[in-house]
Amino acid sequence: MEFQAHQIKDILKIDYRYTMGGQSKFFIELMNNKKLLGTKCTKCGKIWMPPRINCSECYEPAEWVEMKQTGTIDVSTIVWYTTSAFIKAIPYGIGFIRLDGADTAMLQGIFSESLIPSKVKKGKKVRAVFQKEREGKMTDFFFVPEDEYESWIIKSEYEGGSE
Amino acid sequence: MEKVAIIGIGITPFKARYLDKTYFELAYDATKLALEDANKQGAEITHKDLESTVYGIYNELFERQFMPDIFINSYIGMNNKPGTRIATGGATGGYTVRMAYAEVASGLSDLCLCLGVEKCNDCYDVQTGTTTPEVLNAIAYSADMTYEYPMGMMAASSYVSMVNAHFEEFGSPTEEQMALVSVKNHGNAISNPKAQSPMKITVEDVMNSRIICYPFKMLDCCLYSEASAALILANEEKVKELKVENPIWISGVGAANTDCFIGNREDMGRLYSNIYAAKVAYKMAGLDYDKIKEQIDVAELHDAFSGQEVISYEELGFVPFGEGGKWIEEGGPMIDGELPCCPCGGLIGCGHAVGATGIMSTGEAALQLRGDAGKHQVIIEKGRGLAHSIGGPGAAYAAIIIMENEEAR
Ligand SMILES: [Zn+2]
Repeated sequence: MEFQAHQIKDILKIDYRYTMGGQSKFFIELMNNKKLLGTKCTKCGKIWMPPRINCSECYEPAEWVEMKQTGTIDVSTIVWYTTSAFIKAIPYGIGFIRLDGADTAMLQGIFSESLIPSKVKKGKKVRAVFQKEREGKMTDFFFVPEDEYESWIIKSEYEGGSE
Repeated sequence: MEKVAIIGIGITPFKARYLDKTYFELAYDATKLALEDANKQGAEITHKDLESTVYGIYNELFERQFMPDIFINSYIGMNNKPGTRIATGGATGGYTVRMAYAEVASGLSDLCLCLGVEKCNDCYDVQTGTTTPEVLNAIAYSADMTYEYPMGMMAASSYVSMVNAHFEEFGSPTEEQMALVSVKNHGNAISNPKAQSPMKITVEDVMNSRIICYPFKMLDCCLYSEASAALILANEEKVKELKVENPIWISGVGAANTDCFIGNREDMGRLYSNIYAAKVAYKMAGLDYDKIKEQIDVAELHDAFSGQEVISYEELGFVPFGEGGKWIEEGGPMIDGELPCCPCGGLIGCGHAVGATGIMSTGEAALQLRGDAGKHQVIIEKGRGLAHSIGGPGAAYAAIIIMENEEAR
């Protein structure tokens, strides 16, 4: 007898209330005060951004420090094909941003009026822009080329940081 | 430690989708093929002789089943024996070989099954009516869920970050140099009947394929695949007892997990896990990081993305840093080149059956050393080969396996 294939439709879904633990302050300050907090190791002085409350190198605590909201692109890409969760957002820019003074770089969205590779290249100065409606999540902010900052913060859904 | 040999190799065809097989049926197929291969080499064994299993299983969401290993264990008739699951992203296969090696080298088992299975393309994106975006989404949960997943990070954008940083530092690999990897691996796959994407293409075809994330194009990326791959490992006494002809000895295993946050790395244009894993494996095998290209006959590399294969030439010590692009322009890694890389087609040519891929690569290198690779057989003079696995967020996991055919040396 000829083989006949059979498939079952299904979906897996779990709801969460995901604990931010010792990192909570980062998200609360982001949401309430548009501040970007990093942490500084009490022993080696390394500045972690994204923050961690313990220095993974020294095994000593790291203290909260307010970071500048300007930084430099270390590396970036523009995404044209992606996962089902983000496919409606294409094309979008993402990159590793080193905030001024930080020893590590954080992944963030890079928005630009002209999203072309040369606009979001390594070495470009960027500045944080915040959503007016914030939920205490990484998507509460993104980066734009410094020379586009003024044109982004006048848009109705966005605003400038606390600096 | 006991000496450990590969005595049986079973690889199923790599396909976009198996509608006629479940995940568990695929696992059974590779196991059966590996047993048949061992018996062709002179052993007379069945699954009842296998004492333990190490399972390479990447991700639960693909399989729609948590702890898939225990259900495979039942289906392949391995009840009441130890089975251990390994999950290290794209490097799952290589790490699974490493732990199966440890199972035998430690003396815990005389005969061990190393089995990787993948059935990823049951994921389905309803909004586009296609498979891949949902497969990519299931993978994207491997990114850091707090800081990186919400930014739309996925496998390609993670790897491309390192490739772009490498290019900024060295001016290589260029888009054309990356395209050469795609041309090579799709082309090599033509001689591999098990490959999913055999294609005769040009650099221009790659350059003109649709952009995925700058500068990776469609043909720079591997396709996700369904398949299984199995190896049977034995210690020296068992090899003698079973009178196995042509055992392929595992002479070096190396693995390393580098920082999964690319932004924490000293240089973003490095897949540090490659460098550490290679150095450990070479040292164990008595080989040299800066002479390795002259010491092995074949390398089955993990070419999830073309640009990442080029960087791997450098990080595995084949050529100095910054010269990987030049090396492929000169033909070094071509099937008739100085050191053939991915003669089976690699991931770009065969497809990437994540849980099985590194076991397939190890099996392919072992087949080459045995002289059993078929139409894509390369010349074996030194009797040594290498298999490479890499994966995880920011390519944080890597494993390297060195194999030897003592008869060929
Ligand atoms: Zn410290």
